[in-house]
Amino acid sequence: MPKPFASLAPALEVLASEGRVLPATGQAIIDLAADDPEEAYDRAISETRSVEGIWETQRTLYHPVKAIPRSENHLLRYFQDGSTRTYFIGTVLEHERSSPVQISQVGAAAVQREENGCLRVVRPVRHILLLLLDKSALSEVLWTKLEQAVAGIPKCTLRSTSEDDPFGQGIREKRSKGAHKANWAMREEEIALARDDLAGRSKDEWLVIDGGLGNEYLDWPRAPLIGVAKSFQRDMQFKIGSGPREQTLNLYGLLAGLDEGHRTAVFPRWAGESREGKIVFWYVRIRPQRGLDYPLMGVVKVEMPNPAREALDSDFVDMISGAVTAERCVTPHGRDSRWHAHLYPISIAERVIKDQFYSEEILKAAIRWPKVKLP
Amino acid sequence: MADEETTNETQVKESAEEKPSEDSIIGRASATERDPNSAEKFAFWLRPDFRVNPFDIVGAEHLEESHTYGLVTNIRHMTDSASHLSNYISNDFGEMLSEPNTPRQGTNVAEVAVLSNDKDIYMPIQSESKVKFADEGGIHKALGIDSMREKEKREHRVVRVPAGVIRMSNGAEAVAYLDVDYVLGPEAAHVNVSGISGLATKTSYIIFLIQSILQTLDASKIATILLNVKYDDLLNIHEPRSLDPEEHEFWERLGLKAEPFPKDKVHYLLPWGKNTQTTGRPNIFGDPPFPSTTYAYSLKETADKLDLIFSQVPDPWDTIGSLLGEVMNGIQNNESRFKNIITWDDLLSKPPLMEQGIPQQVGQVRASSVGRFVRLLRRVVKTRQSGIFVPQLSTKMTRLDRAIADIKGGHTYVIDIAKLKPDEQTLVFGDVLRTIYGLYSGESGVDENEELPEKVIIFVDELNKYAPASTRGQETPILDQVLDIAERGRSFGVVLFSAQQFLSAVHPRVVGNAASKILGRTDSAEINEGPYRFIDREVRGHLTQLNKGELILSHPIYRQPVKIMFPRPPFQQGRARM
Repeated sequence: MPKPFASLAPALEVLASEGRVLPATGQAIIDLAADDPEEAYDRAISETRSVEGIWETQRTLYHPVKAIPRSENHLLRYFQDGSTRTYFIGTVLEHERSSPVQISQVGAAAVQREENGCLRVVRPVRHILLLLLDKSALSEVLWTKLEQAVAGIPKCTLRSTSEDDPFGQGIREKRSKGAHKANWAMREEEIALARDDLAGRSKDEWLVIDGGLGNEYLDWPRAPLIGVAKSFQRDMQFKIGSGPREQTLNLYGLLAGLDEGHRTAVFPRWAGESREGKIVFWYVRIRPQRGLDYPLMGVVKVEMPNPAREALDSDFVDMISGAVTAERCVTPHGRDSRWHAHLYPISIAERVIKDQFYSEEILKAAIRWPKVKLP
Repeated sequence: MADEETTNETQVKESAEEKPSEDSIIGRASATERDPNSAEKFAFWLRPDFRVNPFDIVGAEHLEESHTYGLVTNIRHMTDSASHLSNYISNDFGEMLSEPNTPRQGTNVAEVAVLSNDKDIYMPIQSESKVKFADEGGIHKALGIDSMREKEKREHRVVRVPAGVIRMSNGAEAVAYLDVDYVLGPEAAHVNVSGISGLATKTSYIIFLIQSILQTLDASKIATILLNVKYDDLLNIHEPRSLDPEEHEFWERLGLKAEPFPKDKVHYLLPWGKNTQTTGRPNIFGDPPFPSTTYAYSLKETADKLDLIFSQVPDPWDTIGSLLGEVMNGIQNNESRFKNIITWDDLLSKPPLMEQGIPQQVGQVRASSVGRFVRLLRRVVKTRQSGIFVPQLSTKMTRLDRAIADIKGGHTYVIDIAKLKPDEQTLVFGDVLRTIYGLYSGESGVDENEELPEKVIIFVDELNKYAPASTRGQETPILDQVLDIAERGRSFGVVLFSAQQFLSAVHPRVVGNAASKILGRTDSAEINEGPYRFIDREVRGHLTQLNKGELILSHPIYRQPVKIMFPRPPFQQGRARM
């Protein structure tokens, strides 16, 4: 069995020889993203906090939803998720400049549900390794050598944490930025999975993606999919109606009136822009508030590409919502604090990825810096 | 999406057509942080469309292309649910009763106790190793039966004795063989059967094993003594019973003939009863087999075994023991004070023990103790006796010890004690053991040139009566006799086959000396007793679930006990005809 992370040795050699390295105390330390990445992603892709209008044929704010189990209409067939685990392994110094060195295991996986409910893993499971450094804090010589070293490592990518992406905007702390950068890479893997690996789906085989849909899904021409977000931007404002009957609701107000077995109306993203309505979303209460701690618990946000920018047929939205509602049993309760809004097959896809990751113990033991000259 | 793998194992595919062939992989070994594999055990997950049962034998691929065989000791179903509460919550707080959209992820994990490796590699089974059902050859390797075959070739003699059939979940079968050197000596000896299996299972198995031994080895060198303790179970072992074709096949599968004991080589020794004189019928259940001999005990012929009568009597100060010594010596040596003591009545009413109905001091034993002795003896040989104690032996009666002393190889001696009182049963069993032990140990002064069978098998049920676990620190004469056989019998060729309901009720030295132990269905309180510790805790639990005809066999050659089945007897069992 090959030694894990042995392939990273040339890159670590470059860092140790071209810069001065301060290894992380106690070897690798896991780095978490500062905010809830899902909520941050939702905030990043929504861009605006204001939503206007209803994009469906029936213009009521709340719609009753009947759960549609698999036995009745097996609509949702594929479920995908991504995961990332980022470790701080040291700091590289060049004169007065420094950059954290982080390694991230990034992956995305999908499961297919068969007629009898059995899940199958869709192969291959996407799994890459990221080496994360702040390019702006390093000399060009070191960065170039590092790029050359990483180029020879299969399934390994060098990323700079100083290059902005929509996801990491506003985050200043370098290590948090690294963790968010890894999450962005995970999104890229998820998109590639949906676009390439799951391209063979028929129009009756819906894919459920964990989290909201980004710009990449704007003009989605392929087999149908929805994004299901467990946590979402909470400072949204909803302007509904017009004239004297216009009312404005914040998210709490909107969801407070959302009873069990109901969904909200369909809203467009990017109100007022030319791309308005290319992605639409609505909220579904998949679980009664009874037994839950908080009114927002048990609610998922469903997003769907709508390239035609037409108002959706309410019955069609009810059908999708019914299929999502039927996913409430079983749950990953006890395994995931977000169980109330987590779809079980998605949690399995997440587990498939995480099972591919090396554990922290192995990472700590396997990553060894070359001999370092301390100042 | 080509290369796909099933992860959900809770859904079982029912279609038989989808089942791969017999030698297919049924799962892969699994070692985890919390549940690692070791040199002694490993675990494997089962493919969704396969099933195993406890006591199935499986083979796992191992290092250097070797195979490690193991016994399935338990199967667990595990899911990713954190708790039962999570399952309740997952079902809409207990309100969803229909099938969930996605069944919870789960798998069946079998726990396996390692039996052997065909290249003697006892490194732990590596995770992901392929696991298959063992075939007959594999089962034999697993149990060490293949080494018995090699021993046969090497030593040019029969070593393997069929002891039943191992039948596995996938339909595979293998004959379980015992190594004769561990059944009849010299390596080890004795067989003990326990369990509450019901109607004659324990007895049936022992008789099956004896038939297997007699048919496999040179029967002319083995004599068998069977004590019939229940009804007329063993009083018709020479009479054939009609068997259906499956039963015949079962016997043939074992390489044995479904035949009763040969009529000309079975001897029935039946007890004299109170009415035998008038009716001519011995004191037995059912009709007497023909031909048979009736045995009885008169005082003169019982003098040397009077101590056996008092086996069940507490004697903390050894007063009865002292008096017994006086009486036994006096009668056997024809001492003058015992010259008028001919019958039991004489002993109970005449000097030296009694005079005009008053107990007398005998030697150092006080009159009061003599009185107690007489009361106890009267109760056994007079007031509560079954008829076995007679004043004098008539020509229709025989002495049991004489009949046994005439033991011949290839012959089977059935001694009925079913209707005898407990003290009488003890006397008869003790008499048998003492006689045989005397013959084989040389204590009885038998001419060494006199032909004795090489081996004598003695079978007794309800062994706990004679060798109880709790002796209150006293070793009774019958227990001494049983211990002699258990501990030293194998060196002389005397082998004890015994049975009882509860292993824990039998003296630990007797249990410990039984090299082969067979367990039938046993209740849950019993399996937690000390004598069952030789079985893994996981395996022990299954003892409560055994069906009739299923037994667990523990043999020194096997690293783990195995579950076996055996054929029904080919002879008439008395109660079956009632």
